[in-house]
Amino acid sequence: MSSRRTCRLRSAERDDLVDADLVDELSKDDLVRAHLDWAPVRLEALKRLRAANLPWPEHWHWDWSQKAGMLDLLAYRCMGIEHGGRMQGLMMLSTVAVKGRLAQHLGKPALYVEFLETAPWNLRALTGTPQFLGVGVRLLEAAVVFSQQEGFSGRLGLHSLPQSEGFYRRYMTDLGLDPKHSQRLRYFEMDAQQVRYFLEGGKS
Amino acid sequence: MLNEPTKRTMTLNLTEAEMRALETLAVQKDLSKTAVIRQALRLYQLVDSRLSKGEKLFFEDEAKREKAELMVMI
Repeated sequence: MSSRRTCRLRSAERDDLVDADLVDELSKDDLVRAHLDWAPVRLEALKRLRAANLPWPEHWHWDWSQKAGMLDLLAYRCMGIEHGGRMQGLMMLSTVAVKGRLAQHLGKPALYVEFLETAPWNLRALTGTPQFLGVGVRLLEAAVVFSQQEGFSGRLGLHSLPQSEGFYRRYMTDLGLDPKHSQRLRYFEMDAQQVRYFLEGGKS
Repeated sequence: MLNEPTKRTMTLNLTEAEMRALETLAVQKDLSKTAVIRQALRLYQLVDSRLSKGEKLFFEDEAKREKAELMVMI
């Protein structure tokens, strides 16, 4: 059973904060609906990028309707941020703990972020002028809170696509290229201080 | 804070050895006993789902260059 809580996004158009809903447990239907909403917008944006000979986002091919089947298993959970009746960002979590890799976390369980994506109209690489800012940060914050609820003390890890490394480096510790990852991506983990930053509402 | 989902309670009957194993894992992993049981259930369901699709589960010792399939009774 999903629940909602209010979180705040920055509207680029109004240059002001707006209330949005963080939905903590999305259904398969929610993912299919989000995909159907996002796909045409993404396609148009990709056409524009191709016409302008600009690079595409590395995750341009992600299809959340294809990921919906993961939700048949207890091992996965999907969260999203909704505003104006549209999903502004999505995040798939693995609820089967991974081993923490930071020295302070060795042997301790950590939550793993499988996928995190903001809606195509919020992605600077696609639109140039995002509608809402802060979607990724609010989703990371939700992941930290969930990690704490699961008994993982906020520990959180993920592998980042190269284009997103700069974003994750602002909030997490870069542990370098992971030679065991199928795409040899860099692994990031949140240390205790970075966890506190989120749990204390970004005040520390 | 995210709302906690509704939970149901059950009594779990374990042998002394099973309870010791559960307590040891809880200490080693810095988790509550309930969290250990939840992790076990999630992992069991995940492994069962993949095995039922015809996939196999292996343990690998890179140093010894050994790889063994884990036979799971399901």
